[in-house]
Amino acid sequence: MILQTVFLAFFGLAAIWFAVIVFHTSSMVRSALALLFSQTAIGAMFLAMQTEFLGVLQIMMMATEMAIMAVFMVMYMMDPGGLSGMDMTHQKNLSIAAGVIGTVVAVGAALLVDWGPIAGAPPPEAQVHDLGIEMMERSMLIFETAGVTILTAMIATTAIAIQSRQTIQEGENE
Amino acid sequence: MMPLIVALLVGAVLFGIGLYGALSQTNLVMIMMGVEVMLGGAMVNLVAFWRFLHPEVYSGQMFVLIVMTVMALEMAVGFGIGTGRFRVKGSVEMEEARDLNG
Repeated sequence: MILQTVFLAFFGLAAIWFAVIVFHTSSMVRSALALLFSQTAIGAMFLAMQTEFLGVLQIMMMATEMAIMAVFMVMYMMDPGGLSGMDMTHQKNLSIAAGVIGTVVAVGAALLVDWGPIAGAPPPEAQVHDLGIEMMERSMLIFETAGVTILTAMIATTAIAIQSRQTIQEGENE
Repeated sequence: MMPLIVALLVGAVLFGIGLYGALSQTNLVMIMMGVEVMLGGAMVNLVAFWRFLHPEVYSGQMFVLIVMTVMALEMAVGFGIGTGRFRVKGSVEMEEARDLNG
Protein backbone atom coordinates (compact mmCIF):
# COMPACT_ATOMS: atom_id res chain seq x y z
CA MET A 1 0.00 0.00 0.00
CA ILE A 2 2.84 2.42 0.87
CA LEU A 3 4.75 1.58 -2.31
CA GLN A 4 1.56 2.08 -4.33
CA THR A 5 1.03 5.50 -2.73
CA VAL A 6 4.63 6.48 -3.48
CA PHE A 7 4.31 5.47 -7.14
CA LEU A 8 0.94 7.23 -7.44
CA ALA A 9 2.37 10.41 -5.95
CA PHE A 10 5.47 10.26 -8.18
CA PHE A 11 3.58 9.74 -11.45
CA GLY A 12 0.88 12.19 -10.30
CA LEU A 13 3.45 14.92 -9.71
CA ALA A 14 4.98 14.14 -13.12
CA ALA A 15 1.54 14.43 -14.78
CA ILE A 16 0.89 17.77 -13.04
CA TRP A 17 4.37 19.11 -13.83
CA PHE A 18 4.10 18.30 -17.54
CA ALA A 19 0.51 19.67 -17.65
CA VAL A 20 1.86 22.99 -16.33
CA ILE A 21 4.64 22.94 -18.97
CA VAL A 22 1.97 22.52 -21.72
CA PHE A 23 0.67 26.06 -21.07
CA HIS A 24 3.94 27.55 -19.86
CA THR A 25 6.23 26.94 -22.83
CA SER A 26 6.01 29.09 -25.95
CA SER A 27 7.17 26.30 -28.30
CA MET A 28 4.22 24.35 -29.64
CA VAL A 29 6.20 21.18 -30.27
CA ARG A 30 7.41 21.21 -26.66
CA SER A 31 3.84 21.82 -25.63
CA ALA A 32 2.60 18.73 -27.52
CA LEU A 33 5.45 16.62 -26.10
CA ALA A 34 4.70 17.85 -22.57
CA LEU A 35 1.06 16.81 -23.02
CA LEU A 36 2.25 13.41 -24.28
CA PHE A 37 4.40 12.96 -21.14
CA SER A 38 1.56 14.16 -18.91
CA GLN A 39 -0.88 11.65 -20.44
CA THR A 40 1.77 8.90 -20.27
CA ALA A 41 2.25 9.66 -16.56
CA ILE A 42 -1.53 9.28 -16.16
CA GLY A 43 -1.22 5.89 -17.91
CA ALA A 44 1.55 4.98 -15.46
CA MET A 45 -0.80 5.96 -12.60
CA PHE A 46 -3.35 3.50 -14.02
CA LEU A 47 -0.64 0.81 -13.94
CA ALA A 48 0.22 1.77 -10.35
CA MET A 49 -3.47 1.31 -9.54
CA GLN A 50 -3.25 -2.24 -10.99
CA THR A 51 -5.47 -1.36 -13.96
CA GLU A 52 -3.14 -2.89 -16.55
CA PHE A 53 -5.46 -2.92 -19.58
CA LEU A 54 -6.47 0.74 -19.30
CA GLY A 55 -2.90 1.82 -18.49
CA VAL A 56 -1.42 0.22 -21.59
CA LEU A 57 -4.34 1.49 -23.72
CA GLN A 58 -3.89 5.05 -22.41
CA ILE A 59 -0.13 5.09 -23.15
CA MET A 60 -0.58 3.63 -26.66
CA MET A 61 -3.49 5.92 -27.58
CA MET A 62 -1.86 9.08 -26.29
CA ALA A 63 1.48 8.38 -28.02
CA THR A 64 -0.33 8.18 -31.37
CA GLU A 65 -2.67 11.08 -30.66
CA MET A 66 0.03 13.49 -29.53
CA ALA A 67 2.29 12.63 -32.47
CA ILE A 68 -0.55 13.65 -34.81
CA MET A 69 -1.30 16.70 -32.68
CA ALA A 70 2.33 17.92 -32.94
CA VAL A 71 2.09 17.81 -36.76
CA PHE A 72 -1.17 19.79 -36.75
CA MET A 73 0.28 22.34 -34.32
CA VAL A 74 3.26 23.02 -36.54
CA MET A 75 0.88 23.31 -39.54
CA TYR A 76 -1.60 25.74 -38.01
CA MET A 77 0.23 27.83 -35.43
CA MET A 78 1.50 31.25 -36.41
CA ASP A 79 4.67 30.80 -34.35
CA PRO A 80 5.17 27.05 -33.76
CA GLY A 81 8.74 27.39 -32.51
CA GLY A 82 7.84 30.19 -30.08
CA LEU A 83 10.82 32.24 -31.29
CA SER A 84 9.03 35.59 -31.53
CA GLY A 85 7.68 35.37 -27.96
CA MET A 86 4.04 36.02 -28.95
CA ASP A 87 1.53 36.04 -26.11
CA MET A 88 -1.25 33.66 -27.14
CA THR A 89 -3.42 34.00 -24.05
CA HIS A 90 -6.39 36.14 -23.06
CA GLN A 91 -8.63 36.68 -20.00
CA LYS A 92 -5.79 35.44 -17.79
CA ASN A 93 -7.18 36.53 -14.41
CA LEU A 94 -10.57 34.96 -15.09
CA SER A 95 -8.91 31.73 -16.24
CA ILE A 96 -6.64 31.53 -13.18
CA ALA A 97 -9.62 32.22 -10.88
CA ALA A 98 -11.71 29.50 -12.62
CA GLY A 99 -8.82 27.01 -12.44
CA VAL A 100 -8.14 27.70 -8.76
CA ILE A 101 -11.85 27.54 -7.80
CA GLY A 102 -12.29 24.26 -9.75
CA THR A 103 -9.23 22.76 -8.03
CA VAL A 104 -10.23 23.93 -4.54
CA VAL A 105 -13.78 22.55 -4.88
CA ALA A 106 -12.51 19.17 -6.16
CA VAL A 107 -9.77 18.97 -3.48
CA GLY A 108 -12.33 19.89 -0.81
CA ALA A 109 -14.65 17.11 -1.99
CA ALA A 110 -11.75 14.61 -2.04
CA LEU A 111 -10.67 15.46 1.50
CA LEU A 112 -14.02 16.01 3.22
CA VAL A 113 -16.01 13.01 1.95
CA ASP A 114 -15.80 9.75 3.92
CA TRP A 115 -14.94 7.29 1.15
CA GLY A 116 -15.21 4.14 3.26
CA PRO A 117 -12.82 1.16 3.29
CA ILE A 118 -10.33 0.46 0.50
CA ALA A 119 -11.04 -2.69 -1.54
CA GLY A 120 -8.44 -5.13 -2.89
CA ALA A 121 -7.73 -5.33 -6.63
CA PRO A 122 -8.78 -8.33 -8.71
CA PRO A 123 -5.91 -10.13 -10.53
CA PRO A 124 -5.08 -8.79 -14.06
CA GLU A 125 -6.39 -11.83 -15.96
CA ALA A 126 -9.69 -11.68 -14.06
CA GLN A 127 -9.94 -7.95 -14.85
CA VAL A 128 -9.53 -8.46 -18.61
CA HIS A 129 -11.99 -11.38 -18.57
CA ASP A 130 -14.62 -9.52 -16.53
CA LEU A 131 -14.22 -6.31 -18.56
CA GLY A 132 -14.76 -8.32 -21.75
CA ILE A 133 -17.90 -9.91 -20.27
CA GLU A 134 -19.12 -6.46 -19.14
CA MET A 135 -18.58 -5.05 -22.65
CA MET A 136 -20.28 -7.91 -24.43
CA GLU A 137 -23.21 -8.25 -22.04
CA ARG A 138 -24.44 -5.46 -19.79
CA SER A 139 -22.65 -2.51 -21.48
CA MET A 140 -23.08 -3.80 -25.05
CA LEU A 141 -25.38 -0.93 -26.02
CA ILE A 142 -22.94 1.71 -24.68
CA PHE A 143 -20.06 -0.01 -26.49
CA GLU A 144 -21.98 -0.15 -29.78
CA THR A 145 -23.09 3.48 -29.39
CA ALA A 146 -19.44 4.51 -28.94
CA GLY A 147 -18.54 2.64 -32.16
CA VAL A 148 -21.32 4.29 -34.18
CA THR A 149 -20.37 7.69 -32.73
CA ILE A 150 -16.76 7.20 -33.86
CA LEU A 151 -17.94 6.30 -37.38
CA THR A 152 -20.25 9.34 -37.48
CA ALA A 153 -17.45 11.62 -36.26
CA MET A 154 -15.06 10.23 -38.91
CA ILE A 155 -17.54 10.97 -41.71
CA ALA A 156 -18.47 14.40 -40.30
CA THR A 157 -14.81 15.37 -39.79
CA THR A 158 -13.88 14.36 -43.34
CA ALA A 159 -16.87 16.32 -44.68
CA ILE A 160 -15.86 19.42 -42.72
CA ALA A 161 -12.17 19.24 -43.59
CA ILE A 162 -12.46 18.43 -47.29
CA GLN A 163 -12.10 21.31 -49.73
CA SER A 164 -15.41 22.34 -51.30
CA ARG A 165 -15.83 22.12 -55.11
CA GLN A 166 -16.65 25.83 -55.24
CA THR A 167 -13.32 26.73 -53.60
CA ILE A 168 -11.40 24.42 -55.96
CA GLN A 169 -13.11 25.98 -59.01
CA GLU A 170 -12.41 29.50 -57.73
CA GLY A 171 -8.74 28.54 -57.27
CA GLU A 172 -8.57 27.18 -60.83
CA ASN A 173 -10.19 30.32 -62.28
CA GLU A 174 -7.61 32.51 -60.56
CA MET B 1 -7.36 5.47 2.21
CA MET B 2 -4.12 7.26 1.31
CA PRO B 3 -3.70 6.08 -2.34
CA LEU B 4 -7.31 7.06 -3.14
CA ILE B 5 -6.80 10.55 -1.72
CA VAL B 6 -3.51 10.96 -3.64
CA ALA B 7 -5.20 9.95 -6.92
CA LEU B 8 -8.17 12.27 -6.28
CA LEU B 9 -5.86 15.20 -5.48
CA VAL B 10 -3.88 14.63 -8.69
CA GLY B 11 -7.16 14.45 -10.65
CA ALA B 12 -8.37 17.70 -9.04
CA VAL B 13 -5.16 19.61 -9.84
CA LEU B 14 -5.10 18.29 -13.42
CA PHE B 15 -8.71 19.42 -13.86
CA GLY B 16 -7.85 22.91 -12.59
CA ILE B 17 -4.82 23.23 -14.89
CA GLY B 18 -6.89 22.03 -17.86
CA LEU B 19 -9.68 24.50 -17.05
CA TYR B 20 -7.14 27.33 -16.92
CA GLY B 21 -5.70 26.23 -20.28
CA ALA B 22 -9.06 25.86 -22.02
CA LEU B 23 -10.17 29.34 -20.88
CA SER B 24 -6.92 31.26 -21.29
CA GLN B 25 -5.59 30.08 -24.67
CA THR B 26 -6.54 31.85 -27.90
CA ASN B 27 -5.58 29.06 -30.31
CA LEU B 28 -8.00 26.25 -31.13
CA VAL B 29 -5.32 23.54 -30.80
CA MET B 30 -4.21 24.83 -27.39
CA ILE B 31 -7.85 25.00 -26.20
CA MET B 32 -8.22 21.34 -27.20
CA MET B 33 -5.08 20.54 -25.18
CA GLY B 34 -6.73 22.14 -22.13
CA VAL B 35 -9.79 19.93 -22.62
CA GLU B 36 -7.49 16.88 -22.92
CA VAL B 37 -5.83 17.69 -19.59
CA MET B 38 -9.26 18.09 -17.95
CA LEU B 39 -10.41 14.73 -19.33
CA GLY B 40 -7.14 13.19 -18.09
CA GLY B 41 -7.96 14.40 -14.57
CA ALA B 42 -11.47 12.94 -14.86
CA MET B 43 -10.02 9.58 -15.98
CA VAL B 44 -7.67 9.44 -12.97
CA ASN B 45 -10.67 9.95 -10.69
CA LEU B 46 -12.74 7.29 -12.47
CA VAL B 47 -9.97 4.68 -12.28
CA ALA B 48 -9.32 5.52 -8.61
CA PHE B 49 -13.02 5.14 -7.75
CA TRP B 50 -13.19 1.84 -9.58
CA ARG B 51 -9.98 0.44 -8.12
CA PHE B 52 -10.26 1.55 -4.49
CA LEU B 53 -14.03 1.60 -3.90
CA HIS B 54 -15.81 -0.84 -6.25
CA PRO B 55 -13.38 -3.13 -8.11
CA GLU B 56 -16.15 -5.71 -8.56
CA VAL B 57 -18.27 -3.36 -10.74
CA TYR B 58 -16.73 -3.03 -14.21
CA SER B 59 -18.94 -0.09 -15.25
CA GLY B 60 -16.10 2.08 -13.85
CA GLN B 61 -13.67 0.80 -16.48
CA MET B 62 -16.38 1.20 -19.14
CA PHE B 63 -16.67 4.88 -18.17
CA VAL B 64 -12.91 5.29 -18.70
CA LEU B 65 -13.15 3.64 -22.12
CA ILE B 66 -15.95 6.06 -23.04
CA VAL B 67 -13.89 9.06 -21.85
CA MET B 68 -10.96 7.83 -24.00
CA THR B 69 -13.35 7.64 -26.98
CA VAL B 70 -14.55 11.17 -26.26
CA MET B 71 -10.91 12.37 -26.14
CA ALA B 72 -10.17 10.87 -29.55
CA LEU B 73 -13.39 12.24 -31.06
CA GLU B 74 -12.77 15.69 -29.61
CA MET B 75 -9.35 15.74 -31.28
CA ALA B 76 -10.67 14.47 -34.62
CA VAL B 77 -13.63 16.86 -34.83
CA GLY B 78 -11.53 19.75 -33.50
CA PHE B 79 -8.87 19.22 -36.16
CA GLY B 80 -11.60 18.88 -38.82
CA ILE B 81 -13.05 22.25 -37.80
CA GLY B 82 -9.50 23.67 -37.58
CA THR B 83 -8.70 22.51 -41.10
CA GLY B 84 -11.94 24.01 -42.46
CA ARG B 85 -11.28 27.28 -40.63
CA PHE B 86 -7.65 27.41 -41.79
CA ARG B 87 -8.71 27.02 -45.42
CA VAL B 88 -11.11 29.94 -45.21
CA LYS B 89 -9.33 32.35 -42.84
CA GLY B 90 -5.71 31.13 -42.78
CA SER B 91 -5.70 30.98 -38.99
CA VAL B 92 -7.18 29.00 -36.10
CA GLU B 93 -7.03 31.91 -33.65
CA MET B 94 -10.33 31.93 -31.78
CA GLU B 95 -10.23 35.69 -31.12
CA GLU B 96 -10.58 36.12 -34.89
CA ALA B 97 -13.59 33.80 -34.97
CA ARG B 98 -16.13 36.40 -33.86
CA ASP B 99 -17.59 36.30 -37.40
CA LEU B 100 -19.06 32.89 -36.49
CA ASN B 101 -21.63 34.86 -34.47
CA GLY B 102 -23.39 35.57 -37.77
